[in-house]
Amino acid sequence: MSRHRTRMIRAALAAVAAVGLAVGALPMSGAGASVRHQSSGAKCPLGALKRAKGPVEITMWHSMPRANEATLQKLTDKFNASQDKVQVTLLNTITYEDTLQKYVAGLSTGDLPDLVQIGDGDTQQMIDTQSVLPAQACVKADHYDLSGHLKRVIDYYTIQKTLWPMPFNVSGPVLYYDKTKFKSAGLDPEQPPATLDAITADSKQIVDRGVAPAGFGLKTEPGNLEQWLAKAGELYVNQGNGRKGRATTSLFDNRTGREVYAWMKDIVDRGLAVTNPDRGGSIYDNLLGIGNGTHVMTIETSASLGTITDVLGSGAYPDIDLGVGPMPGPSGNGGVNVDGAALWIVKKSAPAKQAAAWEFAKFLNTAESQATWAAGTGYVPIVTAAADSPAVQELWARIPGYKVAYDQLLSGPSNLATAGPIIGDYAGVQTAVRESWQRMLSEGTSPRAAAKAGAEAADAAMQEYNARVGG
Amino acid sequence: MTLDAPAVAGTPRAISSTALETRMAGHRGRTWGHVGRYALLSVLAFVVLFPLYITVVNSLLTPEQIASRPPTFFPTNPDWSTYSRAWTNGHFGQYMLNSFVVTTIIVAGQLVTAILAGYAFAFLDFPFKRTLFVAFLATLMVPFEVTIIQNLTTVTNLGLYNTYAGLAVPFLATGFGAFLMRQAFLGVPQDLMDAASLDGYGHWRFMVRVAVPLARPAVAALGVFAFLTAWNQYLWPLLVTKDDEFRTVQIGLKQLRNTSIDQVNVTFAGVVIAVIPLVVLLLVFQKQLVRGLTAGAVKG
Amino acid sequence: MSALANEAGLDLAVETRRPRRRRSRRIRETGLAAIMLAPALVVFCVFVFYPFLKNFDLALYRVPPFPNLPSTYIGFEQIGEVLGSQEFLDSVWTTVLFALLTVPTGIFLGIVLANLAHQKLKGVGIYRTIFSSTVATSVAVASVIFGTLMNPQVGLLPWLGIDPHPPILDNPQYALIGVAVATIWQNLGLSFILMSAGLQAIPEELLEAADVDGASAWSKFRNVTVPLLSPTIFFAVVVGSIFAFQTFGQIDLLTQGGPLRKTNVLTYFIYTELREQKNPGKAAVLAIALFAITMVLTLLQLRFLERRVHYAR
Repeated sequence: MSRHRTRMIRAALAAVAAVGLAVGALPMSGAGASVRHQSSGAKCPLGALKRAKGPVEITMWHSMPRANEATLQKLTDKFNASQDKVQVTLLNTITYEDTLQKYVAGLSTGDLPDLVQIGDGDTQQMIDTQSVLPAQACVKADHYDLSGHLKRVIDYYTIQKTLWPMPFNVSGPVLYYDKTKFKSAGLDPEQPPATLDAITADSKQIVDRGVAPAGFGLKTEPGNLEQWLAKAGELYVNQGNGRKGRATTSLFDNRTGREVYAWMKDIVDRGLAVTNPDRGGSIYDNLLGIGNGTHVMTIETSASLGTITDVLGSGAYPDIDLGVGPMPGPSGNGGVNVDGAALWIVKKSAPAKQAAAWEFAKFLNTAESQATWAAGTGYVPIVTAAADSPAVQELWARIPGYKVAYDQLLSGPSNLATAGPIIGDYAGVQTAVRESWQRMLSEGTSPRAAAKAGAEAADAAMQEYNARVGG
Repeated sequence: MTLDAPAVAGTPRAISSTALETRMAGHRGRTWGHVGRYALLSVLAFVVLFPLYITVVNSLLTPEQIASRPPTFFPTNPDWSTYSRAWTNGHFGQYMLNSFVVTTIIVAGQLVTAILAGYAFAFLDFPFKRTLFVAFLATLMVPFEVTIIQNLTTVTNLGLYNTYAGLAVPFLATGFGAFLMRQAFLGVPQDLMDAASLDGYGHWRFMVRVAVPLARPAVAALGVFAFLTAWNQYLWPLLVTKDDEFRTVQIGLKQLRNTSIDQVNVTFAGVVIAVIPLVVLLLVFQKQLVRGLTAGAVKG
Repeated sequence: MSALANEAGLDLAVETRRPRRRRSRRIRETGLAAIMLAPALVVFCVFVFYPFLKNFDLALYRVPPFPNLPSTYIGFEQIGEVLGSQEFLDSVWTTVLFALLTVPTGIFLGIVLANLAHQKLKGVGIYRTIFSSTVATSVAVASVIFGTLMNPQVGLLPWLGIDPHPPILDNPQYALIGVAVATIWQNLGLSFILMSAGLQAIPEELLEAADVDGASAWSKFRNVTVPLLSPTIFFAVVVGSIFAFQTFGQIDLLTQGGPLRKTNVLTYFIYTELREQKNPGKAAVLAIALFAITMVLTLLQLRFLERRVHYAR
């Protein structure tokens, strides 16, 4: 092609690009009002449901796998059969991460559910989408009594006196371990380690006696750092753990945090622990490792217990006698936070649907539902009446492991540390922590430097998010 | 040192002793060389095939057997249920259907647009022809990631998010297809064209009755190539679908892998299911595939 | 452009088949051409050219994570921020490194296999089919297979002794190599087919003449086969690099850009900015950078490598 033609085309393309840039140069400004205060005007449209003729159909997105999904479906079917005002359809959106991404994408495409289960860490983001009806509004309109709920659960999801989502599935980190191997190593199977140093000591004994190649499966789960600081009674981020205002700096680069980092490096360097990933296809390697005998203990969410019980019950890994203990960690004036997810009512739905979503969320919070839910999954019954029910009491007697997470949430004071951190770019902070650990464990960074680097990266992530959100 | 040309018939020129010696050595070496070559080929074939082999084997074992050491290399007690489990739990029935539908749409679209455009470039005369052709080729240069952001918005605004149409529409035409068909059409002999124009054939008739049938190998090659790339797509289906209804086989594999973490055998069964259509395609259309993949690479 | 055109076998001089045309015929043909080109052009304009240009616009805005909040125009500040960031530079290096790991190796293996299978041995057809078989595998298939092979719990590689701590795909030093191995295997079939076709185009007489002249296998390979194969090799390098820069699926399935972003190639970086960070503005800047780098690399290859290509004509 002739040079002249090439130049002409290039010029044309440049011109078009220039026009594009010029058009783009028109600035777009917008309101920057603080997002937090917009909750006060929200109204719960209970009347719309009463006036509705015929059943109101709503969709709920959830990420419950396998055994948990089956139980949820059972509860949903029961709800649908028990009344004729509301019909609920469930949609499995696979993981908490995927669900949030789909939800945010849905804000543009219009493809949204009426009720959505969102992981606990994304609370601030859900608030920032300005697309949800705070549960508080319905609590007020319906005169709903929250006093029967576990305080720590309500504390987590309440920010500046507004309960944003309705809680549903609450879990906590617990220690899973193989009692059989404990016995072989000369350790008391009913006394799992309670501190980080005890983990190291027990692991050493396990390895020294040749019971397993490693004692502990260290999953690089950043949520564990939050929990360890909460157990020590310390704040994770500033601004009252992100509850008094937007968090801008992290606080985990303190003595407790550095001790945690140092412990991690020590136990791995001494060959007493193996590292396991917390994402991707190998996300449950820490649990599989106990089954396959590569290590003997690990920290994992209590929410997995239902699936684990199923897998063990089917005859796989017959030599394992699984023990469940409270999460080991630093001690202080604190306690473990809630993990899990909660249910958000989508404001963009028609008023009748919003009210219908509230009805379903309420149903899932009744003592009976929570008893069924806890017994079928391993999630913590978040209503004390459910904990006292025969179904749950029988489960706890039969498999005491299911009670561990519940007890954890009752122990310790109620303060900002135990309420847990609220962070806008929660995933960004987690990435910062995860990478600082990986650097420390594989590139030999010192624990002090790693903690500092992690904190700095976390701060940068939080501040970038805040800038983009205009708060 | 040279010897006079000896008894080798038909070779009048002198052969140097080094050449002769090399040749004789070659003859001796050739038998050893034969065995050696088969051995080498077999070793390499084993290495290349091993991942697929182990996949098929593992799809028939139990998770304990897979984790056991030393590993099991042959399923003495094959567990065929993994395939039905992968099919149902992995929703492969739906995913295969989706992949087939989308792939068919894309292949049909690419064939039609490529034939039309290739014909125009080969047989018609019009202004800005060179420019347009270069523009067509330029689309090959633009990496897909550059366009996904906006394409996602466009497809959503057109209401095609999570639909077969949305999955297929950005791929209905490629510069590669137009190029391939153009080259093929350029090979139509002049006398055929003259005869056709004498018989009063218009362009459409000529295209349908003469040009396309003559270019059949290229059409087949393009079809196979388009099928292959459409079936194996990953990023776009990931972005543009949100649920089982429209998910394709490749994304289904990712899902199956993530949900069957303690049942690796089921995941592998899913892999085998995903590969089978292509293996069939490869065996049946081997020749066309080769031609399609090498167009433009080899001179002559 | 014309160099690329030449390589593509394009003979722009012989582009139409009608030696004589009258103006009216040209006008009619233009109309017809418009109709014929329209479908493809519409697809290109909507899904290639427009998004490409729109990127330049999008790159100038700091976009909030949710659509209800406003976008702020910050102009070139964002571009400068992103392009100057360590994460971007690391990502570019990772992308280049990945291409360096996969493209030459893949071509080399393809040549070796093609050469070995290009002999008149009985049953060589079976070997040729086996060597091409990976063309039936997709990125997802290869990733799931190799991901499991490298898994420390159930994989065979640890059993074979390849068992670093942390395991390959979690190991910042080896993760990229792990992904590269899966990619090379998956591309082997294609590479083999390409090189085989190239070999078949070499006239037999040239190879036989080398034999007659007493050339050793290696010398024959070096002085005859490779030069005559060079157009094919060149094509494989150019196209292979372009595709290597667009690697995505393997990263998503195997390492998700980690560990420590050591496998965070540009395409994956763009994806995470888009999906997880919900930041289309930053993603647009990265996409433009990816395009620019690909173009520059291709042009460099066309300029400097094509000189060494030996065209038979």
